[in-house]
Amino acid sequence: MKTRLSAIAPAGLTLTLVVLILGGADELRCDEFTREDLVRWQQEYISVVNRGDVLFHGGLGNHNTVSCDQCHPNAANTHPETYPKFQQQLGKVVALGEMINWCIMNPLESGPLALDDPDLIALQAYILHERRGVGLAAGRH
Amino acid sequence: MGVRWSPPAGVMFVGLVASSLAPLAAPLGLPPVPIPADNPQTPAKIALGEALFNDPRFSADGQVSCATCHDPAKAFTDNLPVSKGFRDMTGTRNAPTVINSAYLRTLFWDGREPDLEGQSKQPPVNPVEGGLADHQTILRIMRNDPAYVKAIREVFQVEPAAVTLKHFAQAVASFQRTLVAGDSPFDRYFYGGDKTAMSQSAIRGLAVFTGQGRCVSCHVIEQTQALFTDNRFHNIGVGFKHIRGKEEEIAARFLAAKKSGADVDVTVLTDPDASELGRFAVTENLTQVGSFKTPTLRNIDLTAPYMHDGSLQTLEDVVEFYDHGGRLDLDDPLSGFLSGGIRPLGLSDEQEADLIAFLKSLTSPNVAGTPSSALASQ
Amino acid sequence: MRMNRRQFLKAGGALLAAGALPVSVVEASFGRARPENFTFAYISDSHITHLKGSEFVRNWDRGLIRAISECNLLTPRPDFILYGGDLAQLGMPEEIDHALDLMGGLRGKVHYVMGEHDYYLDLGDHWRKRLGPDHYSFDHKGVHFVVLNSILTYDPWTHGPWDTPMARMKAMARLDNPKGSPFMVGAAQRQWLRQDLDRVNRRTPVVVVSHSPLQRIFKGWNFWTEDAEEIQALLKRFKKATVLYGHVHQIQYNQIGNISFHAVMATAWPWPYPSSYAQAESHLPKLTIEMNRADPFFERDATGWQLINLHTGKVDMHYLLPENRNRSVVFDHRLKRPIDQRYRSGADRIPPQIHF
Repeated sequence: MKTRLSAIAPAGLTLTLVVLILGGADELRCDEFTREDLVRWQQEYISVVNRGDVLFHGGLGNHNTVSCDQCHPNAANTHPETYPKFQQQLGKVVALGEMINWCIMNPLESGPLALDDPDLIALQAYILHERRGVGLAAGRH
Repeated sequence: MGVRWSPPAGVMFVGLVASSLAPLAAPLGLPPVPIPADNPQTPAKIALGEALFNDPRFSADGQVSCATCHDPAKAFTDNLPVSKGFRDMTGTRNAPTVINSAYLRTLFWDGREPDLEGQSKQPPVNPVEGGLADHQTILRIMRNDPAYVKAIREVFQVEPAAVTLKHFAQAVASFQRTLVAGDSPFDRYFYGGDKTAMSQSAIRGLAVFTGQGRCVSCHVIEQTQALFTDNRFHNIGVGFKHIRGKEEEIAARFLAAKKSGADVDVTVLTDPDASELGRFAVTENLTQVGSFKTPTLRNIDLTAPYMHDGSLQTLEDVVEFYDHGGRLDLDDPLSGFLSGGIRPLGLSDEQEADLIAFLKSLTSPNVAGTPSSALASQ
Repeated sequence: MRMNRRQFLKAGGALLAAGALPVSVVEASFGRARPENFTFAYISDSHITHLKGSEFVRNWDRGLIRAISECNLLTPRPDFILYGGDLAQLGMPEEIDHALDLMGGLRGKVHYVMGEHDYYLDLGDHWRKRLGPDHYSFDHKGVHFVVLNSILTYDPWTHGPWDTPMARMKAMARLDNPKGSPFMVGAAQRQWLRQDLDRVNRRTPVVVVSHSPLQRIFKGWNFWTEDAEEIQALLKRFKKATVLYGHVHQIQYNQIGNISFHAVMATAWPWPYPSSYAQAESHLPKLTIEMNRADPFFERDATGWQLINLHTGKVDMHYLLPENRNRSVVFDHRLKRPIDQRYRSGADRIPPQIHF
């Protein structure tokens, strides 16, 4: 028995240590996330970017069939990094979503989206994704 | 001052003048008045300018002054479609208000004068306005009337022999720069924070103005001020039906006349066809045929009828004209030269009524005049 | 500083009454036929779009109507008018027919160029039925004009298979299509061009008119012609060669060796410059001084048409822009390339250019 105990003890100590370090390998704390989380969340984001891409390229279903990409191929010349800014066409300082709505109402001759409409979020995601890497310049005309 | 200025009209807007004499103070909703460096404001110069503005002796029959077509009792317009000058002769264009003209970057509907100093010299010598052959009558009176002699000496420190048309123009402009008016119900609501200053209908109308009505791009409202004009020239389709099919002929005839020395000021005010050329008559730019300057909308309820030819009687007509994308009746032709900003709006009756309520909220206090609805019923 | 009244009356915009066009005093001799100075107009890229029944997209209709109305005011009349391609948006017969109805209001003879939006629905059948061959040449007052169909592409892409012809048309219609296919003139037309140019004297001014740029500017948006170098090589021997093209919906100009290149505007809508796309590189000609960003409220901002003065065999291009200052890009015989008469680069920029 004595031999078995001494044989067991080092393993038990190891086990204790292992339990301490892994702390319950299944449990994440609030500030922690895994590599898989990052990949999955990026995919979530890209799925909305892709939805925005579809809407941007004729997916809004407006009667006059004008699509955003006709004036903004690859969302070029939308300057999302300059918002919020004074928007001459609206007479006041606005954020990007409001200007997108202006375009939907004016060149696209359709009805505006609610500011929290998932489609409006998707359009913004696509526009900003095509503009990634460009520094902020809020307020610049 | 001890000298009598002839027209009594001068008294009527003293209130307006006095309140605006506070140095560089702009009314609520407006920026400071731009004053050119070579024509600073002084009380004496302003009073001289006011007298000149109201003096009917500066016309061929002694009956027509600036105030004839820009009547202080009528918000400095004449409430006529086109103005009547010397011997009741009519011109081709509607008299714009002088109120807030200090903020304009060009003068006249076609912008053919760059400033107020330039503008005031033209009407006295136009055959259908003042009717004078030249400015000599004006200079003679300014050099000989004792009241003017004294005032000019005080304001400009010149003796009668040295009086020029420039003194006339500078004094008149100086007076005109005091005719500023903001502080309307809209201004108090939008800039003054008084949420009760506009009616609910007018508040909805403001949303139409900046939204579906597509007004704000040309009739500018900004975060801290509202001039209600972009100071640019646009063809919105007014008057097109009168020249439809004749555009080429009219343009060619006008250019030929201009090339052989015809005076643009006279031509556009005496020839209704040439008048329709708008900014093209000044720049000869083919892309500006039929373009006219965006006027301010301040006090618009008092300055009927509307547009460069006075062809729209009421604000209802104006809103209908825009709603139809550049024509009053849907049977009227659409101008091929229409600005890209003009298109059918699809406004409902309620939106149109709200928009008109908003426009009526742009009337400043202490401006004398008759509301357009009252004029329409006359 | 107050301008005198005379100056002010003219200062509002570029003076462009036809009677005041410059006539060059330098007249060189051009081989057999001595060319006279003449003008022609150029309207392009109307993209007329059918909705249903007799309803078309109002915005694009108005753009074409505007150009035609202004062009009709020119006195004296231009010798002829070129139409630079993309009458239609999706190549439908209704669109081509409606565009040609509107073009019927234009006074003067029109020579048409094929655009990809006219072609990829039915491979140009309806266009050719209405307008004739899609490549041809003609001589006018001593100048040799060649019209090319430069918007063809590789056969496998063209013939697919596609689910429907409209699927192919829409794929080509989308400018930023990652699955697009580059434009080209192609071997057959290059052969035709070689034979056509063989009989033209090297001192005769040559003007080649196509839809795509006959240069390689930005592949992502098909501002591109795959066999650009081969075409340019065929033009190398001519003393005065100019290429005019549409498709890009913006002002561009360039000089490559002896060849001057000029883009024309669309009547329908403007496109941004490729440099405004942050994720790709572009090769916009360095000579080009770009236009300002358009105000989308004004549907005609950064659209327009052109009047071209062909003096001494080189092109002076006058852009008539309804909502912008007109611009003139003229050939400078001392610098031997096109320059913008008013808009300059670097320290010479003028105030309207400081908007981006």
